[in-house]
Amino acid sequence: MDHPRVLVTGGTGFLGSEIVKALVETKSFEITVIDLNPPALGTASFSDVRYVRANILNPAELAEVFMEARPSIVVHTVGVYPLGEARYHMQGKEAVFQINVTGTMNVLQAAKTCGAKGLVYTSSVTVLLDELQADFRNADETWPTGRATTSYGQSKTVAESLVLSANTTDFATCSLRSAPIFGPNDPATIPILHGCIRRGETPFILGDATNLVDFVYVANVADAHVLAARNLLNSATAAGEAFFITNGEPITTRDFCVALWKEFGHIPRFQIKIPKGLAWWMGWGAEWVCWITGTEGTFSRGAIYDATKWGYVSISKARRILGYNPRVKLPEALKLSGQHFRQQFSDRVKK
Amino acid sequence: MPSLSSLAYYAIHPRELRQIIQWKVWHNPVHERDETKDPASLKRCFDFLHLTSRSFTAVILELHPELLVPVALFYLALRGLDTVEDDMTLSLDTKEPILRNFHDILEEDGWNFDGNGPNEKDRQLLVEFNVVVEEFKKIKPAYKAIIKDITKRMGNGMADYVKNAEFNVNGVDTVADYELYCHYVAGLVGEGCTRLFVEGGLANAALLSRPELMESMGQMLQQVNIIRDIKEDHDDGRRFWPKEIWSKHVDKFEDLFKPENKELALNTSTEMILNALNRADDCLYYLAGLREQSVFNFCAIPQSMAIATLDVCFQNHDIFKKNVKITKGSACQLMTESSQNLQLVCEVFRRHTRKIHHKNNPHDPNFLKISITCGRIEQFIESIFPSHPKPVDMKSPASIEEAAKKKVEDAEAKWDTIYLILAVVCTILVITSSMIFIAWLAGARFDIAFAQLKEQLGDLFSWSSNSTIAEVAKDASGHSEL
Repeated sequence: MDHPRVLVTGGTGFLGSEIVKALVETKSFEITVIDLNPPALGTASFSDVRYVRANILNPAELAEVFMEARPSIVVHTVGVYPLGEARYHMQGKEAVFQINVTGTMNVLQAAKTCGAKGLVYTSSVTVLLDELQADFRNADETWPTGRATTSYGQSKTVAESLVLSANTTDFATCSLRSAPIFGPNDPATIPILHGCIRRGETPFILGDATNLVDFVYVANVADAHVLAARNLLNSATAAGEAFFITNGEPITTRDFCVALWKEFGHIPRFQIKIPKGLAWWMGWGAEWVCWITGTEGTFSRGAIYDATKWGYVSISKARRILGYNPRVKLPEALKLSGQHFRQQFSDRVKK
Repeated sequence: MPSLSSLAYYAIHPRELRQIIQWKVWHNPVHERDETKDPASLKRCFDFLHLTSRSFTAVILELHPELLVPVALFYLALRGLDTVEDDMTLSLDTKEPILRNFHDILEEDGWNFDGNGPNEKDRQLLVEFNVVVEEFKKIKPAYKAIIKDITKRMGNGMADYVKNAEFNVNGVDTVADYELYCHYVAGLVGEGCTRLFVEGGLANAALLSRPELMESMGQMLQQVNIIRDIKEDHDDGRRFWPKEIWSKHVDKFEDLFKPENKELALNTSTEMILNALNRADDCLYYLAGLREQSVFNFCAIPQSMAIATLDVCFQNHDIFKKNVKITKGSACQLMTESSQNLQLVCEVFRRHTRKIHHKNNPHDPNFLKISITCGRIEQFIESIFPSHPKPVDMKSPASIEEAAKKKVEDAEAKWDTIYLILAVVCTILVITSSMIFIAWLAGARFDIAFAQLKEQLGDLFSWSSNSTIAEVAKDASGHSEL
């Protein structure tokens, strides 16, 4: 039987490789991966997946690869996110927009030209939640986007509307707005939070630590992509729609951190609560210190807003239309990630 | 007469005293019962209700008249079953046939039973059970059928447990056994009550199509009782905490009560509480399906008490030493809040969920799960009562139209306010000026009043304006000569 052909952009990255793995496991797709990098050492690569090196900023290269692979469906996961302080200011905005927006435009163009039937786009909850000074409780997809104040949130919003407005009867598109992703090989969430232990930051709590936020385990996001790809190829009830994809278990940032630190055998021995008002001034002061000394700090008002705001969403639309169900629950997900990183850190020490 | 110690307690906890007084003074029953026409047997049934039930009597007595008697008899029937099951002095051969046939006994004229041990607190109910039978035969056949069905299933379930030697020696084994036990003694009550409410037209019939909701209502109450009564049950030689849970933390059940195992005992109680807390959102969902106020109160008050009890038991080592209870003041507050509407009950749940979350201990193996469950309850409440309105979408045409409409409405409202203020100001002006005019007609001297006012203000701010005052005074005196 002829399996539908699927092309995954960024398929050797953290999320991309997990999506490829999930697609391979269904045994019902013929897969092509494009990425700037070959599969990294220690991550899974699959013998019957075709890996092609290509840059999404090069339309000619893309067109060539797409014409050759002739995918029925494209899964577009490539994106960059500025980390640390860069997340909160607009410097470097052009680079972010170039990859997240221009790159998406190129992929859309290539997909349409090669006759693909649809495209699944990896968006982010930040399209809504990155309006940093606002709180979001149980928000759903009917909430209006376009108010994000970070370069990442804005670039994702623009790219997402490009993808959704490209939806036609011959070319079905949908957008999966994923919460912050974590899991084994995770390049950001876990290493950053783990770094707090080394820097002695774990006893400090910003605000009252009752604000709930969402996370999502990488395998669950991968499941959602497979479900979306299948939906667009079959009933296409998801065409033109955006979906929040989270673990469906809103939790306070503090508790998520504590549970993660426990995986590394660390439990803060005492706790100091810094009230939100005081923290705001400290962030403001830190920004000035950085400006005067010309250094890059980790503490700023943006980081304070991020740490104290409510930002969780409802995934009932994804459950209803895609049949999405976060298979790996948070306790299991943290255990798996903990195992992986403990191994990695101890290997590093041995070397 | 209140004891000296409670007087002292309320002297330093005036808020609680206030809650008690508020409940006693302001609470009006939704439906009041007219007892004067009741036959003697029904009166006797209500006497028993008072004697046997502590917490449930009040809410039963306020129920809608349609359901008051059926629910009271349902309660007495179950209490009768319970009295047979609980009595350790009865032999298995005596117990089993009574438990298994109790649904028929309900219609057996003149049935009563005096075989209970002298210390069984509700033995008198069975001695005079014929009054319950007499009244039971008078209620509507539909209600009778429901009560008999539940009594039959519960009696058989209890008989199975009584016969189960393993259970009698070692207590409950797995979590599934534990929930099955709670199903027999409480989940079935939830089902029975729900069917009675729906039959009486006082609850949404859709509740029957979601059986897990009514099951959760009963499970929640029973599990909370089992958690709270750990010490008392242990002293009486009963074990309801399942081995599957406690064996993860301690080797022997008795070890839970040793002071040196404090932390392990607390970890065990956390896991028990987690299991109960997982039912909370179902309970709120269920409450949303009730139509009639007295039925809502009947269901909501015990649930609020249950979540508050979970809160006081959470991370509280006293449960292994004594009977932990919520204070009377908080109980009255909970009753006031739970006899109004679902939103207030949700507030109660949210408040206690946050307190539990606040006490959550990072060292506890179930730290993360407690946190997730608290988050889930919070999200559920948010989904039925959103705390923020959704912002207006300026991009979508539908909401632009809506926004424009709202703008027009806002503008109208603004002008309404302006007209209102103008009208008030005009009225005041008209009244004031006509008063001044009348006063002037009557010969009032505004010039003197004005001068004095100026003088006093001058004193106040110590201006030196003596000359003007003198002049006006001279002028005034001159004028008065005319």
